Amino acid sequence: MSGRRGALAFWAFVGPFALGLLVFTYVPIGWSAYLSFFDARNTVTPTVFVGLDNYADVLTDRAFLDSIGTFTAFAAFVIPVTVVLSLGLALLVDRVRIAKAFFRSVFFLPFACSYVVAALLWKTSLFSGLADGEANAVLGWLGVEPQAWVGTVDPPLYWVVVVSARLWLQVGFYLVLFIAALQRIPDHLYEAAWLDGASPGWQTFRHVTLPGLRGVLVAVLLLNLVNAYQAFDEFYNILGDSRGYPPFARPPLVYLYYTSLGSGGQDLGRGSAGAVVLALVIALATLLSGRVFRRAG
Amino acid sequence: MLAAGLLGLAACGSNTGREGSAEGTVEHWYHAYGEDGVQDAVRRYAAAYPNARVEVQWNPGDYDSKIVTALQNSAVPDVFEAQVKTDWVRQKQVVPLDDLVGDTRDDFVRALLDSQTVDGRLYGIPQAIDTQVLFYRPSLLRQAGVTPPTTVDELLDAAKRLTTGGVRGLFAGNDGGVAVLLGPLLWSAGLDFLAADGKAPGFDDPRAAAVFGKLGELNRGGGLLLGAPTDWADPGAFVAGLVAMQWTGLWNLPKITAAHGDDVGVLPFPRLDASGAESVPVGAYSAMVNARSADVEAAKAYVKWLWVERTDYQTEFATGFGAHLPARRSLAEKAERLGSGPGAEVVGFVTRGGRIAAPARWPARANTALSDAVSRIARQGADATAELRAALDVARTEIARLDR
Amino acid sequence: MRPVGYRNPVGAVARGVALAVAAVLFLLPFAVLVRDGLAAVPEVFADDEVPFARSLLNSTVVAVAQTAGQLLLCSTAGYGLARVPFRGEPVVRHAIVATLLVPTAVTFVPSFVVVSSLGWLSDLRGLVVPGLFSALNVFLFRQYFLDFPVALEEAGRLDGLSRWGVFRRVVVPNSTGVFAAVGVIDFIGSWNQFLWPLVIAQDSSSWTVQVALSSLLTAQNPRVALLFASAAVSILPIVLVFVLLQRHLVRGVTETGLGGR
Repeated sequence: MSGRRGALAFWAFVGPFALGLLVFTYVPIGWSAYLSFFDARNTVTPTVFVGLDNYADVLTDRAFLDSIGTFTAFAAFVIPVTVVLSLGLALLVDRVRIAKAFFRSVFFLPFACSYVVAALLWKTSLFSGLADGEANAVLGWLGVEPQAWVGTVDPPLYWVVVVSARLWLQVGFYLVLFIAALQRIPDHLYEAAWLDGASPGWQTFRHVTLPGLRGVLVAVLLLNLVNAYQAFDEFYNILGDSRGYPPFARPPLVYLYYTSLGSGGQDLGRGSAGAVVLALVIALATLLSGRVFRRAG
Repeated sequence: MLAAGLLGLAACGSNTGREGSAEGTVEHWYHAYGEDGVQDAVRRYAAAYPNARVEVQWNPGDYDSKIVTALQNSAVPDVFEAQVKTDWVRQKQVVPLDDLVGDTRDDFVRALLDSQTVDGRLYGIPQAIDTQVLFYRPSLLRQAGVTPPTTVDELLDAAKRLTTGGVRGLFAGNDGGVAVLLGPLLWSAGLDFLAADGKAPGFDDPRAAAVFGKLGELNRGGGLLLGAPTDWADPGAFVAGLVAMQWTGLWNLPKITAAHGDDVGVLPFPRLDASGAESVPVGAYSAMVNARSADVEAAKAYVKWLWVERTDYQTEFATGFGAHLPARRSLAEKAERLGSGPGAEVVGFVTRGGRIAAPARWPARANTALSDAVSRIARQGADATAELRAALDVARTEIARLDR
Repeated sequence: MRPVGYRNPVGAVARGVALAVAAVLFLLPFAVLVRDGLAAVPEVFADDEVPFARSLLNSTVVAVAQTAGQLLLCSTAGYGLARVPFRGEPVVRHAIVATLLVPTAVTFVPSFVVVSSLGWLSDLRGLVVPGLFSALNVFLFRQYFLDFPVALEEAGRLDGLSRWGVFRRVVVPNSTGVFAAVGVIDFIGSWNQFLWPLVIAQDSSSWTVQVALSSLLTAQNPRVALLFASAAVSILPIVLVFVLLQRHLVRGVTETGLGGR
């Protein structure tokens, strides 16, 4: 294959995509980096160079630091719960003898739903503050007063709403991954463990199932981590309203949205600086956790 | 090949974007009014305009965010309703409209025109006056032996004592009143968003911490309804009898009297103490013209036709659906709902204690900082003095920026 | 057959009960949607609070165009990387893979800037085009094509097909599984995306169904029955896709890990 002809063929296949990636990923990243050094309020073609002011602004802005801190906590909570729930349900579905496909479909179905629809269901019905909301009805049977789920900040009951919506939407996806991984564990390993006298419950799980799931566990944790930092839809739709967004439970993307595009000031310089910082945080977290998980695995 | 296909697809899909509205079309945005009939009415007005095609876009949801994003980047809408912001004028995003009002200038309520004026030029034609009041059920107050509150402490006490069985004392929004009571609380302590000259924040005062602390007491007192299906701007909670008092818009008066008949009282927001004042917030959505509009003159001509010339539409818009006060004195006399009963009382509140709810020189970021601070104080028990100090810093910087 | 636990009938029953309870909990939101929404479905298209029919059309156009575009662009790029020898290939591949470290959602502010400079705000181009260039999809296609049987390609070559001809007539027809899998996931993701259309679709003529729903939900006076009916209508197409193509979907998820959110 001669160099020039090969190059031509290569670019014929890869060129359109590469060009698009250049225009819609590399240019935005570069432009964003550029904007982050300017006073870019209300404009995308700023003229006032401000050096590192936007970065100083963002890194001393309590709202931004809160958003990163809160979301580290959010991730630290939601990731293990997602893993335990989806793995637990996957084990159950894997072992059930009847209607296996039915159960898998049931848990996977919410995957087809959007966060907007979930937010709508959670906010106006399941966790509405009225006594006839489903969650309050359950409390009612237990003799507990109805709660204003979304509106209660102390204790932060809104987390129950936000987290359960996310679990409902994403558990099925990870469950499907786990079921496939479980089916890839060869039967003879279980038989060998059984012959070795391992008890069928915890011991088998610990010594056969879990090691067999290592690869998928790493993938699930990484996907979960990146997704938790990018949370936006359910927060915006559950906690936001026609006037904007409350000062708590603001994920980084909600912060960026209101800072750069929403009613919070149209400050693209600060928004871009925030985006750069956040991108670095996510990249770092991904690389680090990838390394940690890989070492553990 | 693919790109070409998509371009063709998009070309027939939309006629907006940078090119602006289609030729001869004026695009007019409203936020979503909750009263039945307003949307039909404004579409009817648009259809009746003889000199251009007018398309109305109705915007439920976070309208303020939509407007600021559109103003920065887009040629649509051509005409929209909002309250004038000094920032928009500085960025040349809106155009002056002085020539539209001409000799009707004196007919508009003076304070309203002033609130839409920046550096001596008028940027919005007031459509109607919106105000908010404390609605209450006199029968429930009598049962509980509570007199209509005239101070903030009495309001707190009333909210607590009116909470019995399935009924809560007060509803002021699902955020515990943070957003909607910001202004009334400041005014009740004799403070304001801005100092008198507009060059500094108006709440650099220990009394601010005291009055926002009261909102915290209210939130912790158990008398406040939270988690209602609709928010403060909707009379739903009050109409359904979930609360004895609700802070909401006067515009809901028709729905409220339809539900409770004569058992409806209205109050201004009470004062904190003798050095504060009773108040009601006065808001005025005005019609503005986007400076990026493809045809600014056509947009201005339409605004003049609708909001200066067509007094019949203006009257219907203000009083035909919900209860708003007309923005022009000559029309106020014709408003029947405001001639007697609670409506007439509110006219008195506005005259005596009406305060501009969203001054042009009060920047969005300052408002976010203040309401965030108040939210933390009232709902999370944060230290009021420290929170307000941080909000003051932001407000000072942002206000100073306006004159740079 | 897995021996684990099968010998314990009490455990089996307990597991069955746990599964049933969990299944009921997962289905409950759908039940609520049907209970509260079905009656008002006729109102959805009659009401002019938001242009709902238009938004459904927009979502359909966006999802179809985005899925088709992604499949075409990403499969060709993946094939080029995997099978067309080129000295600079490692550099290009790394430049593509590197963007995986920067989640697209984080670049929404700068992407907004680019799209607004192109004049694509409130324009279907702005909704569709920036989402076409998924490095993850390219990477998956590349992995897949690396394992594609060389013998099949060579047979095509002997029949006188060009490189493009081999791709179109030999490789693609023998890879429908991976196309279906990636396509279903892209379609669902595109239909359900929210942040990007929220930012780009300012004019209501370009709203997608998620934006329309969200504006109803965050309105000052949300009308619950209408909301539920609209939501029910909005998930109908996607539930249909889900039910009909679940096989591909599951395959796509398990083989690629695509679609997490």
